[in-house]
Amino acid sequence: MENKKLNEQQSLELITRMINTTRERVERNAGMPFVIMGYLTTFVSIAVWTALTLTANYHWQYMWFVIPAGGLGYWLWRRNKEQQKEVMTYVDRIVGYVWNTLGVVGFVLSMYSIFVRIPILFIIILLMGLGTALTGLITRFHFCTVAGLLSALILAPLCLFVTNIDSILIFAAVFVVMMVIPGHILNYKSNRQQ
Amino acid sequence: MFKELNPLLHSELRLAVMSILIGVEHADFVYLRKQTDATAGNLSVQIDKLSSAGYIEVEKTFRGKMPCTTCRVTPVGVAAFEEYVAALQSYIKRV
Repeated sequence: MENKKLNEQQSLELITRMINTTRERVERNAGMPFVIMGYLTTFVSIAVWTALTLTANYHWQYMWFVIPAGGLGYWLWRRNKEQQKEVMTYVDRIVGYVWNTLGVVGFVLSMYSIFVRIPILFIIILLMGLGTALTGLITRFHFCTVAGLLSALILAPLCLFVTNIDSILIFAAVFVVMMVIPGHILNYKSNRQQ
Repeated sequence: MFKELNPLLHSELRLAVMSILIGVEHADFVYLRKQTDATAGNLSVQIDKLSSAGYIEVEKTFRGKMPCTTCRVTPVGVAAFEEYVAALQSYIKRV
């Protein structure tokens, strides 16, 4: 591109083209946060369920702390990476705000659940499902929207009906539907666009 | 009467840079160069012109040992861009 003068029509076309290119820009491995948090939550849930089933020792519940610890570690790593990004869009910032807010709310409610009896698995799926749906709406990745709404509205209530230890398995399965599968699809799509 | 088009924006490369920056929070020099396919020297000169007019803010930092130039549009730049697009539309409607 050079510094030549354009006519009015060419100017409008150039503006449209540049705005569209930036708007349609998708990073490589855009679904990685979903994949990492999805697998982490699924594996920790299965580990907690297995340990509780085999030993009946409630101290294994402390293993849940691996999820926020892993989430915090990943958040710090990503924050460092984002400072090195070539471009930061408004979409990146808004999606970041959504997940930071939901992450903090989810963690604080999980802390409450140690002292007060609340259906924490249901609440966490509800929060994360809404986060996934909102991310899908903001980024226009409709599979994410559907997976998030399906999880929040249909799968989350299953944790209210199944009140024994098996609700942990439902929790693990929902994270596969809500995060792992959409994350892999998003990675596939974003890598194909590059 | 046609409104005069802002000469600072009515050039291909400067308009492309402003069009990119209007849609993002900030973008660095490498990204702008990739999107506009301009030479580094020419892009640098045009960024300086936009910066001198107060349309964009330029921040020079380091990414590790590599220098990094980050640009973001200012409220003055947004207003100028909006005015430019409105003027363009009025031209096209009249033709």
